[in-house]
Amino acid sequence: MNSSLIALEICVLALGTVLLLADFWMPVERKKFLAYFAAIALGGLLLAGFSDSSFCQTFGTAFNGAFVEDAMALFFKRFFLVAAILVLFVTAEFSDKIAAGISEYYSLIIFALAGMLFAASANDFVMLFVSIELITVTFYVLVSFQRAKLTSLEAGVKYLIIGALSSAFMVFGIALIWGTTGKMNFTELAAVASQFLDNKIFLIGVLFLLAGLGFKIAAVPFQIWAPDVYQGAPTPTTTFLAIGSKAAGFVLLLRVLFAAIPAVAEQWRDFLIIISGITILYGNLCALPQRNLKRLFGYSSISHAGYLLLGVAAVSATGQSAVMYYLAGYLFTVVATFIVIVLVMQNLETEDISGLAGLNQRSPILAATMTLAMASLAGVPPLAGFFGKFLLLKAVIGQGIATSNHGYYCLVFTALAGVLISFYYYFGVIRAIYWSKEAKDLSPIQLSGAAKLAITICIAGIVWIGIFPNTILNLADEAAKSLGI
Amino acid sequence: MELADILFYVFAALTLLCGVLVIANPFSRNPVTSAMFLVLTIISMAGLFVLLHAFFLAAVQILVYAGAVIVLFLFVIMLLDLKEEERRKIKFFGVAAGLISVGAILGIFLKNLHATNLNAQSSPSIEGDTAALGKLLFANYVLPFEVVSVLLLVAMIGVILLSKKKLD
Repeated sequence: MNSSLIALEICVLALGTVLLLADFWMPVERKKFLAYFAAIALGGLLLAGFSDSSFCQTFGTAFNGAFVEDAMALFFKRFFLVAAILVLFVTAEFSDKIAAGISEYYSLIIFALAGMLFAASANDFVMLFVSIELITVTFYVLVSFQRAKLTSLEAGVKYLIIGALSSAFMVFGIALIWGTTGKMNFTELAAVASQFLDNKIFLIGVLFLLAGLGFKIAAVPFQIWAPDVYQGAPTPTTTFLAIGSKAAGFVLLLRVLFAAIPAVAEQWRDFLIIISGITILYGNLCALPQRNLKRLFGYSSISHAGYLLLGVAAVSATGQSAVMYYLAGYLFTVVATFIVIVLVMQNLETEDISGLAGLNQRSPILAATMTLAMASLAGVPPLAGFFGKFLLLKAVIGQGIATSNHGYYCLVFTALAGVLISFYYYFGVIRAIYWSKEAKDLSPIQLSGAAKLAITICIAGIVWIGIFPNTILNLADEAAKSLGI
Repeated sequence: MELADILFYVFAALTLLCGVLVIANPFSRNPVTSAMFLVLTIISMAGLFVLLHAFFLAAVQILVYAGAVIVLFLFVIMLLDLKEEERRKIKFFGVAAGLISVGAILGIFLKNLHATNLNAQSSPSIEGDTAALGKLLFANYVLPFEVVSVLLLVAMIGVILLSKKKLD
């Protein structure tokens, strides 16, 4: 057994416990700075992973094949570490509103991160379920953290009920799969899955399992919770939900579909195409009339789940690497969006789009960041979002030519229509920043040094991933290879 | 008739009797009384498990259900005001739906019982004793087991945070 593979997870769990203990000795006014301590510690782990070849760089399996460390696990682990670091920066800016229990909030973020790291390496159904539960249970608390706010509690209850329902689906699906095949391990299951393609009970099990994962990534028809929860949750939680929880859903989806049951994925192309198309249309159309910023991005995140599903529906290595590349760009874009929302809405009760009015006079940096993020989400070249969408569509068209399945061409047109619709509401946000006349408060916004650093990282990420896609793309290609399609 | 057979009938009768008293007690409509009868049902079911040589299952049944779950029920019953419940009449629709579903399950059970060839001579083979379970849990599934412990820690933090008296 190669237990040294889980060194990174153990370090992260230890960090979470240290943050909990630090609560005892830290004076109240300094607790806010624990975020920077945690971010630096995670940054250290990230750098150690890049420089030292023995630390979380050795590939292999551990715990009887339940835990796998391969190129894809490594890619997603780095992704989750960066996401957690940036979310910690967002939280530090938000800390005045959740001053009671702030150190618990930080440690819960770290524990959710640990769950995501385990999810990235999960290679059997028990690990899949346990890691997803760790993420979800942590988010129940993070979502309802502002107990004094009714919307936060409402979001918490909704997320709890939907989360419990999706867990029930998933466990039932796993039970059916195990009952028919007798395998829990993905690698073992892949060897026998093709014999069960006619077995209805096995296919229903797979369907239930995908339904459970569908809740996590907020794909139609399991998207209903996303706008309410995104709107009600504290903004840092929303950020982490949009990035971490979604990416964890996608890593498990990729792993299950292409490492455990590739035969079923091959057979269900049409089904995946339909889900992806409907999700894109639903997210973009419902985002059009929204005035609340966080709700708008709730719907926008549904549409992005749809774009990401393009790469899954392609059932090819190029599609999978496009998914990972798109997620990397999406990470920096979403964090940039939400950190601006946190900073602008700090002194406002409303979260309406009109709150952005006059932002270009209050803080040109924030206005520019938001504009860049919107342009990237909409897919304007040469930013990360454009190249990601390009790669996803290219993978889909490639499959359309290879399999001569007309569904793929319909999907391309649906996605392009979705992108066109999305231009309207993303540019509505930009219009509110620069051309709105409703501005009441024109006092300049002071940025802390940490906020400036986080914003710089996000802008650099959006632009660098878009203009020099090769580094990330090579990593993503390598990661897709480890899935073996 | 052996002692084990007599005990089986005693426990089975107790399970059924207490089960009926949980939902339809002619003497008291108090939810707490119902919960206490549920405890008795669970304990007599644990007795049935012991007769099947499933000692671990019997112990877990008493610890988890009779202990923890029922305490939770009682908490909820006492926290909520259930005076309304005592006055409520039993509705015809509820009784009909209950009888139909129980009848359907009984039908499936009897059909299956009829289909299986019960061999009286075969000695019952016991699977899932504690030693095997412990070995599996701490060898093959030690990682999920540890992750669950982190999950419980998170749940504990969450409960304390969300239920503490002072709002921010």
